[in-house]
Amino acid sequence: MAAKKKPTPPKPEPVEDGRYPQTKVLSRNFGVKDSWTLAVARERGAYAALQKALDDMTPEEVLQEVKTSRVRGRGGAGFPTGVKWGFVPRAGSGGQGDKPKYLVLNADESEPGTFKDRYLMELDPHLVLEGCLLCAYACGLSTVYIYVRGEYPLCIARLEGAIREAREAGILGASVLGHEGFACEAHVHPGAGAYICGEETGMIESLEGKRGHPRIKPPFPAVEGAFGCPTVINNVETLAHVPSIVQYGGAWFGGLGIAPDPDNPRSLGSSGTKLMGVSGNVRTPGVWEFEFGITVRQLVEGYGGGAPEGRTIKAVIPGGLSMPVLTADELDVKMGFDDLVKAGSGLGTATAIVMDDTCDMVEACENIAHFFADESCGQCTPCREGCHWMEKIFTRIKRGEGTPADLDLLENLFTNIEGRTICALADAAVWPLRSIVRKFRHEFLARMPGAGGDDAAGGAAASAPHTVGAS
Amino acid sequence: MAETKSTDGGPTITIDGRVLPYEPGQTVIQVARAHGIEIPHYCYHPGLPIAGNCRICMVEVEGWGTKPQIACKLQPSDGMVVHTQSELAKAARAGTMEMLLVNHPLDCPICDQAGECHLQDYSYQLGAGRAVTTTAKTKLPKNVPFGSKIVYDAERCIKCTLCVRFCEDVAGTGELSMGGRGDEEIVIMTSRGEFETGYAMNIIDLCPVGALTSRDFRFKSRLWFMDFTPTVCTSCAKGCNVVTGGRDGRMLRMEPRENQDVNRWWMCDEGRLDYAFVNAPTRLLAPRVRDAQGGWAEVTWDDAIAAAAGALRDAPGSVLVDGNCSLEEMLLAGDLAAAMKGKAKYAAATGEADGWLRVAERGANAAGAERLGLARQKRAGTSALLVVERDANVPAALRDGSGATVVFASDETLVPDSARVVFPLGTWAERDGLLVNADGRLQEMRANGAIGPGNLTAAVEVLEDLLGELDPERDWRGQEGLRAELRAHDAFADVEFPAAREAAGVGAGS
Repeated sequence: MAAKKKPTPPKPEPVEDGRYPQTKVLSRNFGVKDSWTLAVARERGAYAALQKALDDMTPEEVLQEVKTSRVRGRGGAGFPTGVKWGFVPRAGSGGQGDKPKYLVLNADESEPGTFKDRYLMELDPHLVLEGCLLCAYACGLSTVYIYVRGEYPLCIARLEGAIREAREAGILGASVLGHEGFACEAHVHPGAGAYICGEETGMIESLEGKRGHPRIKPPFPAVEGAFGCPTVINNVETLAHVPSIVQYGGAWFGGLGIAPDPDNPRSLGSSGTKLMGVSGNVRTPGVWEFEFGITVRQLVEGYGGGAPEGRTIKAVIPGGLSMPVLTADELDVKMGFDDLVKAGSGLGTATAIVMDDTCDMVEACENIAHFFADESCGQCTPCREGCHWMEKIFTRIKRGEGTPADLDLLENLFTNIEGRTICALADAAVWPLRSIVRKFRHEFLARMPGAGGDDAAGGAAASAPHTVGAS
Repeated sequence: MAETKSTDGGPTITIDGRVLPYEPGQTVIQVARAHGIEIPHYCYHPGLPIAGNCRICMVEVEGWGTKPQIACKLQPSDGMVVHTQSELAKAARAGTMEMLLVNHPLDCPICDQAGECHLQDYSYQLGAGRAVTTTAKTKLPKNVPFGSKIVYDAERCIKCTLCVRFCEDVAGTGELSMGGRGDEEIVIMTSRGEFETGYAMNIIDLCPVGALTSRDFRFKSRLWFMDFTPTVCTSCAKGCNVVTGGRDGRMLRMEPRENQDVNRWWMCDEGRLDYAFVNAPTRLLAPRVRDAQGGWAEVTWDDAIAAAAGALRDAPGSVLVDGNCSLEEMLLAGDLAAAMKGKAKYAAATGEADGWLRVAERGANAAGAERLGLARQKRAGTSALLVVERDANVPAALRDGSGATVVFASDETLVPDSARVVFPLGTWAERDGLLVNADGRLQEMRANGAIGPGNLTAAVEVLEDLLGELDPERDWRGQEGLRAELRAHDAFADVEFPAAREAAGVGAGS
């Protein structure tokens, strides 16, 4: 057998202005004409990794490459993908293992300020589909359900187009790429606009035609998920990484980015590349792909362009809305899973929301609390009652009717909401709010008559507009 | 370190310092319950799937950090150490109480649930005893009809979903769902009009607060003015275990009582509401005899017994009893029939079975009657003595066709023209006695002292007096003696009787 030419992985793109370089692995086809069509995608290497896996690798070997890569979930939680796949009971093991098994692709990108998966689905749907098929091959899954955010009509159209093309080309169907014994189908399921349906078990309920109420875990979806069967749920970007992991090897991917902390045996590091975004009070919002290692400041200033003319950055939520806020002098931390946790925040979806000095933090909190109060599914008492209660308190403070005791009450509510619910929506509500209340306490006191706050700061903020998130 | 092995070496968990064995599949709340440790709960119910949403059953698990766990879902593992009264657990529950009350209306003074409300109880036990919010409460729909029998108040609702899960998972009809999000989430009825299930009113009992109230019962009485008595429903022969509630002579409601062998926790709506005749304005209140003009004269019980004995001596015959009569009453009916050289018979209606609890046989003690050898009266036939509680069991054709001169009836509309002496009969809610249900299970019917005219001599006593008049050789047995005789009876050799002490303690409700 003739030795195949070893494909070479993308390299960091040279930069001349001293900015952190981009590395285009996932985004290599962004901007290419008709990149979403099968013809163009194939010309540019689509399904080569799938072909390689089917020709040369066992499912177990694909799983091993993913484990070696140490790729972590890109939806926000950062769970190691290979470990998650390893939980799926194998066929022939009896019980759950012998049931049909599903992949649910979490494409319900509804986190405020987050629009990275949208790029992948609109511009490279075949890459997404290839990732799904590799996952299905590795884990023995027969059906892919792509649960897409309903407000993404172009994504829905491009994914459906890609599925149609793939089916016609024999990439989907009874024998994937002619490989006997590997049958796989894919279906697009548009969501109906609920944030909670992006939570994996809420998504499964929704997919089953029920209300998006998250389930209590365990059992975890990998064992008992959609329709009572073993189900892998992964984020779009996570699976889009798999073709290059298979193509260039898990070791290649694992060698990129931030290595695990050698002093911390539980550290997993942040391997590979990552789509990162910036929105909010910046000059050039957008999405770019970097090898892990870029700092928050390098991202929001180097690529986001910094605060608009004449303003300064006040605070940044590094990953969507659901993470604790960083102040302007805390931005020299790397955009990495462990690094940001160590800095008291989290990577989340790695799409930074920037607030400048015109942003009123009291109103920002009211806005954030409103979002979570509105999106709380209503299932668990602390989240259902607590999120709106917090919003009411922020409204009261905004109107100048608050007292310092309200800040103590808020702290009490944070404690009684965080970690007291079935899913993490309540935690996601508490984390940004608590960090803002703690780090910008003076702005809250300034809104309280006679509370001795910093009047100058409060006065400037009170008259200024603000924008937080893109709900 | 506490001892973590049970004496037989099986797995154990430690709850509040007590080492407790557990069965596979049990959750911590169940293990605790089985050993007398009550962990507060709203959304947990042993007969429904676990929802884990109310967050009041949170407990601390040693070594699991500062995140409290919900006991309703927590699977025990060998050696697990659980604290229900630690600072963390208590603070977590108090925090949940605070959340539950922040939007809950303070309308306890006009709420039917007051007095049996878990929110009240847990506020008292676990709440902070102070209000920390000054913000306006969220407004939600009130007085929403759920079918014709149930009324929903979304503001009182704590969204535990017990009612939704009952309709979905127990009744299987799924009329209810949650709707809306956040603190505007409410229970909605997904079908218009009536519930498909004939068991919808169980959701009123399940509701831990006053969000679901009974159209039949609401605003009728404060609970603490009522008396409650555990008994069995006699609307059909299933014998669902129930509690009757009454006040000032009126029966106000009936609710199911848990019995895993009969009705689990449930009862049908038809049976639950089958008590209007108890409160009928035409109830008989005093014994009466025909006077010379053919009208009625009210007399004393003794005079009525003497008159009845005379009537039965003059015209002896058979005895026909209602299929809802107790075993004691039926035993005496047999003895009386024998004394008159007649036959003892019973009459009972049949109806539709619903495939769940309600059975076709409507005679609550028809099975008992058969065991005692009473024949079922299907067509009109003559009898000297008639006992009738329910129109359906002993319809007009049987009553009028009996030609009975001595009649025990709960209502004057049930008295045939042939009657010379009439004794007022207590309804099943007012009588004590034993019944055998359709499954051959012996159960106890108990009188609620707050229901009925209240001055009625028990039919079983009057029947025994009559027997004494007709057969002076007979010893007085009384209810205890009758039960002893039944216990020794061949027909009940395979039946388990209630404990003698419990039987002796039968009396008016609390």
